[in-house]
Amino acid sequence: MTAIRLENLVKRFGGFTALKSMDLSIGDGEFMALLGPSGCGKSTTMNMIAGMEEPSEGRILFGDRDMAGVAMGRRGVGFVFQNYAIFTHMTVRQNLDYGLRMARSPKAEIARRTAAIADLLQLGDLLDRPASGLSVNILQRVAIGRSAMMEPAIFLLDEPLSNVDAAFRAVMRTELKHIQREFRQTMVYVTHDQLEAMTMADRIAVMDHGVLQQVGTPLEVYNNPANVFVARFIGAPGMNLLAGVPVEGAEGLRIDLGALGRSAVLDAPLAAAARRAKGGVQFGFRPEQVDLVAAGAGLGMTVGFVERIGARTIVHLERDGITAKAVFDNDTRVLVGDLVHLAPHPGALRLFDAATGAALREV
Amino acid sequence: MRRSPAFEAFRYAAILLACAITLVPILWMVSMAFKPIAEWQATGADLTWFPKEPTLDNFRYIFGESGSNLIVALDRTAAKPILSSLLSASLGTLIAMAAGTSAAYGLSRFGAGGNLPLALIQLRLFPPMAVMIPVMMMWSFLNLMDTWWGLALIYGIVTLPFAFWLMKTFFDDMPREIEEAALVEGCSRGRVFWRITLPMMRAPLASAALFVFILNWSDYLIALLLTTREWVTIPVYMASLSSSMTGQLYGAKAALGLIAAVPPVFLGIMIQRHLVRGLTFGALKQ
Repeated sequence: MTAIRLENLVKRFGGFTALKSMDLSIGDGEFMALLGPSGCGKSTTMNMIAGMEEPSEGRILFGDRDMAGVAMGRRGVGFVFQNYAIFTHMTVRQNLDYGLRMARSPKAEIARRTAAIADLLQLGDLLDRPASGLSVNILQRVAIGRSAMMEPAIFLLDEPLSNVDAAFRAVMRTELKHIQREFRQTMVYVTHDQLEAMTMADRIAVMDHGVLQQVGTPLEVYNNPANVFVARFIGAPGMNLLAGVPVEGAEGLRIDLGALGRSAVLDAPLAAAARRAKGGVQFGFRPEQVDLVAAGAGLGMTVGFVERIGARTIVHLERDGITAKAVFDNDTRVLVGDLVHLAPHPGALRLFDAATGAALREV
Repeated sequence: MRRSPAFEAFRYAAILLACAITLVPILWMVSMAFKPIAEWQATGADLTWFPKEPTLDNFRYIFGESGSNLIVALDRTAAKPILSSLLSASLGTLIAMAAGTSAAYGLSRFGAGGNLPLALIQLRLFPPMAVMIPVMMMWSFLNLMDTWWGLALIYGIVTLPFAFWLMKTFFDDMPREIEEAALVEGCSRGRVFWRITLPMMRAPLASAALFVFILNWSDYLIALLLTTREWVTIPVYMASLSSSMTGQLYGAKAALGLIAAVPPVFLGIMIQRHLVRGLTFGALKQ
């Protein structure tokens, strides 16, 4: 059991800075997801935790131990790669017990752990099959098993489910969470798939362009994005962000949204936050948190496209070059070309500073 | 896509022609090897496609049993040249593969020796003739003239670029993560190379080694210049199979040629499974 602390971590490759500066504390036994688009620095961060890359600046601590100069084989981490990295010239069993054989563990102990892991990952029947020629789903299970065999205090997974098929991915999400509960390891999970991060992680670290954008529980990140990047990136579809200008009126403060008209009067704390914006604001609300209202109220927009995805219907809206999305139940009657009126739920409004992109929090 | 019958006919005709150009000389050699002297002599009365009276005389002849119907006895048999070829080509291949594989691994994984690719290409830039005189002087100084080990050394050097380039491509194609996975499990760098990398590279290693072996096996020029009598190789010995009385001993040459074809073919069949995998290594799912 080990906590991980990243202090002022920087990684440069020649003239390119992959990680600009990263401070992150991962608790003992916590499941932390590093989430971001490709090139955001999440894999680089992970490789430095594993010891595959040396940081250009900053420190990595496991508990109180500085990991500088500690070889990756001595860090006590398990690593699962996106492309499984299976030893194809060995059997499944030889892959699983490879690390223990390297460590010259007693035979009985190796046999016991192999049986336990094979049972957990349903690999029992395949143990003596050569690893070459197995399906990718099984290969990734072998790879996860191989790392779990060493019972590492820290388990690092680099997009382990990107190459497996969708149905198996759903199964593995539950299984991985199950494995973590079983062994109580500290898990760091790199992914670009927010569904994986949302469903499994205790906390999510959202990254972009080598900068940590926000750390929080899945719900915090979803409900209260720290900036416009997180707001757009989290959620499917992401948060609607409309450029607007705060306008004081007799009843209170509203946001002028140009062609869409004016928002409803903001409640006092949000209005106070809006007043702190130097220039304009980004008026944000989740597509799921809107209602259709009668003409005359709300924001009038034209339906451009309707995506029906089973349980839900995603409506793409447009007006004078301003676009937004709304998500309704599948039986909502909207037709392409309709003029509809939207009202975001009163508690759903989020404001961001148009200049900095940072959230304008109620204080 | 459906092709027109005319195109199909043309396609098969082209394939047949290509096969004929490749295979007919080989068949001719096989046929010649089993012909009695009367049938292969330039002055032979009747030139035939297949031996009328198949005989092993040609084989007996090159191994020292001069048959009654062969005119001159040879002063040397083919046994030692075959041994010389086998030893020098094998050791040369071993040298090239060992050095080439290590260098390729170092460059591919650690970027060690960044100038190596170009430096090695230089070995191939000079026409062999241009460097053979200095090499002869050096080999003479080192007492390596007319020895199979001297030949093996120069073979190893000359084919090193091929071994290096082939192996480098293969190492580049092998996902690094496999080695990193072993390292994370606590395996040392050296162990990773011997226990993980090399076993997984069996197929590419085998195909590269075969390629290098064939190059060494079929060398004529270097052996001609570096061996004189004791350790001449098959190609050099073959060239000497002629006499003033009979001219070229085509039958004996064909028999020797047939023998010379055996090791590469045998090796090729031995590693056939690996060969296909080795040549398609880069196309494997990663």
